[in-house]
Amino acid sequence: MAAGVAAWLPFARAAAIGWMPVATAPMPVPPQEKRRGKDGLIVLNVSGTKFQTWRDTLERYPDTLLGSTERDFFFHEDSNEYFFDRDPDIFRHILNFYRTGKLHYPRQECISAYDEELSFFGIIPEIIGDCCYEEYKDRRRENQERIQDDEEADPGSELVSPDLSFRESMWRAFENPHTSTMALVFYYVTGFFIAVSVLANVAETVPCGAAPNRAKEMSCGERYALAFFCLDTACVMIFTVEYLLRLLAAPSRYRFVKSVMSIIDVVAIMPYYIGLVMTDNEDVSGAFVTLRVFRVFRIFKFSRHSAGLRILGYTLKSCASELGFLLFSLTMAIIIFATVMFYAEKGSSASKFTSIPAAFWYTIVTMTTLGYGDMVPKTIMGKIFGSICSLSGVLVIALPVPVIVSNFSRIYHQSQRAEKRRAQKKTRLARIRAVKSGGANAYLQYKRSRLLIGPDQEASKEAGQALVCKTNPNFEVHHHHLLHCLEKTTNHEFLDEKTFETNLREVTLVKQVSRSSSISSASSPHGFTSCCSRRKRKTFNVPNSNMSVGLQDSIQELSTIQIRERPLTNSRSSLNAKFEETVPLNCEQPYITAAVISMPTPPGTTPEGDDSASSTDYSQANIVRVSAL
Amino acid sequence: MDAKRVETISARVDAAVSSSDSVEDELELSAVRHRPEGLEQLEAQTRFSRKELQILYRGFKNECPSGVVNEETFKDIYSQFFPQGDASTYAHFLFNAFDTDHNGSVSFEDFVMGLSILLRGTVQEKLNWAFNLYDINKDGYITKEEMLDIMKAIYDMMGKCTYPVLKEETPRQHVEVFFQKMDKNKDGVVTIDEFIDCCQNDENIMRSMHLFENVL
Repeated sequence: MAAGVAAWLPFARAAAIGWMPVATAPMPVPPQEKRRGKDGLIVLNVSGTKFQTWRDTLERYPDTLLGSTERDFFFHEDSNEYFFDRDPDIFRHILNFYRTGKLHYPRQECISAYDEELSFFGIIPEIIGDCCYEEYKDRRRENQERIQDDEEADPGSELVSPDLSFRESMWRAFENPHTSTMALVFYYVTGFFIAVSVLANVAETVPCGAAPNRAKEMSCGERYALAFFCLDTACVMIFTVEYLLRLLAAPSRYRFVKSVMSIIDVVAIMPYYIGLVMTDNEDVSGAFVTLRVFRVFRIFKFSRHSAGLRILGYTLKSCASELGFLLFSLTMAIIIFATVMFYAEKGSSASKFTSIPAAFWYTIVTMTTLGYGDMVPKTIMGKIFGSICSLSGVLVIALPVPVIVSNFSRIYHQSQRAEKRRAQKKTRLARIRAVKSGGANAYLQYKRSRLLIGPDQEASKEAGQALVCKTNPNFEVHHHHLLHCLEKTTNHEFLDEKTFETNLREVTLVKQVSRSSSISSASSPHGFTSCCSRRKRKTFNVPNSNMSVGLQDSIQELSTIQIRERPLTNSRSSLNAKFEETVPLNCEQPYITAAVISMPTPPGTTPEGDDSASSTDYSQANIVRVSAL
Repeated sequence: MDAKRVETISARVDAAVSSSDSVEDELELSAVRHRPEGLEQLEAQTRFSRKELQILYRGFKNECPSGVVNEETFKDIYSQFFPQGDASTYAHFLFNAFDTDHNGSVSFEDFVMGLSILLRGTVQEKLNWAFNLYDINKDGYITKEEMLDIMKAIYDMMGKCTYPVLKEETPRQHVEVFFQKMDKNKDGVVTIDEFIDCCQNDENIMRSMHLFENVL
């Protein structure tokens, strides 16, 4: 609740006089007015800059340094002021928080300095107002990421836990080569062999000059076939070993097999093995030659070694739709122009444009402004359309490319921002919910805490006192008294959502149960203290006769007593106007009521034997409250 | 309310006087400030001491820097005290009770006069004020419909999650109880005399009237 509104509490309490003539129950006693300290100005000297404010303003937030007695530690007798050796610029915002109830974050301040000041003065950053909260969170996150990056870049900070299993340490070595020397060596060796393999593939095809006993010029691959084969074997063995080791070390083998890198690895080494298997069969030698093409995929293995390749791959993947559009529009243009060119050149003799698919080649070459010149139009119409084709080619190609580039940058930044917003939205909604329910729950907590002081005299007295003292400054106490008066006026109590819903569920449950008039024990887990239950039993018989007839259908008011959880008040059921409320209870609690279950309880807990007789009455009964002051 | 001085900020700007632009008019309206009468006058008119008036005004001005409360702000402020329910209807009735000259806004004088009655007035005055609150159309009679409205507004403040569960007819039944008690001649309305009479005979009500005397 905003601190400013606290100043209106006297008004709200005065307005409660409007409920008094309506109320049928007596009102609770107002809490004692704590004699406040003399209301005066306090001088706060922060590193020479003097701030002054009312004492009450500071005491609005008693769980901070300035609002509690903690500030007495900073009292300076000589100058009769409170001296803080802190930053006055940031202190200005902290003091404004007391004044307005809203904490703002100044953008020009350093985030860690601000955090330090907040923690010094005992203010939690979560109460920063909505206007500044996102900025604060952004800066904080950036700061933390920067710190994290620094830590990661620092090699000495790597924690090597000795009890990593061999498998885990192997996997870590594979993923982060700089963790150990062995891993680094392995990393460079594989890189070297990839390079060697790729170079060998390339060099195989270079013409090497004629062999001494041959006239024809042959490629190096054919001339030094054995050498290349040995090289290839060596490379493939290294790759196979590497793949098997990775497979062994992977924490999730299935996921590893599915990953792109492992597929590349497999595709890189499979041709060799297939080739080994198929060397004796000459018919499929054609296919075998094709397979050798796949050896070039080894070059993709470099992407483990290069982050740039990975980023490129990610870019293409993320711009897939734009690329698709580019392809589609190109295809459309190609088909259009190829058709047009074909029909335009149909007339000319010895035209190379033999069919529309043949014209595709011309269109592509022209649109990408390559212009090989192997197919040229000869008719006038053909030339006209050819020029239109080349002009439009520039447009068709040049337009989507910047779109892709900008798309990429937009998508990238957007995804970053969306993540941020999603994370912040959740916390923001949670904060709003917490503030809303905090106001309501504070009262319920207060009621429970007052209760706790009674039954568990020893155990929870401290807890109750602690709760009361911490969360009940002067304002809270009066506010709770106000809410209590409202409860009295309407003869209903406040509940929190959870209990309310459990009640509703129990009501429907009990409705079904009490149709059959058998004694059910669904209520037994909730315990009564024995003295109250005895009293309840007794007094229950008295009002039974007074029950008004109109309640026969309403079993709605059933609930189970949970003395530990249910707030007990001394309100009466509004329908029992004549009910005498002076049944004495032996229990010591200030406010005790027992809400009686109108469901029959198991015989174990009832000392009286008139259970069965009153069970039918129970089903008709409304809640009867016994109060004792 | 006599001697209410309304200052418009735009009076300082000469251009605003000459122009008849609707936008300027809007600016004028929104910049209305209200300064209350002097401290001495208020001291004479109410039963608060100087210090109390100072504290009250500081709180009032903090929440309403312009010096007047309109109904929206009033409802807003009052709702913050009752987070579980909907306090806006009751706040509406309260607003009408405080806004004695019915000009749509509660100035500090209205506020402080109301509070003076509620906190420092005699029992007669307090009951009078309560009667005024219940009598929505200010005709001197409380009818069952008016009381039902008030009662529903009060029960609305409790919200949904109550124990026992709030039923539809609970406010109505409460009104019946109230009328049974207050309406002596059973003519269906409660007059001011019946009301005061009956309240003075009910010791619960008498006791609760003195409940908030040492607020502030």
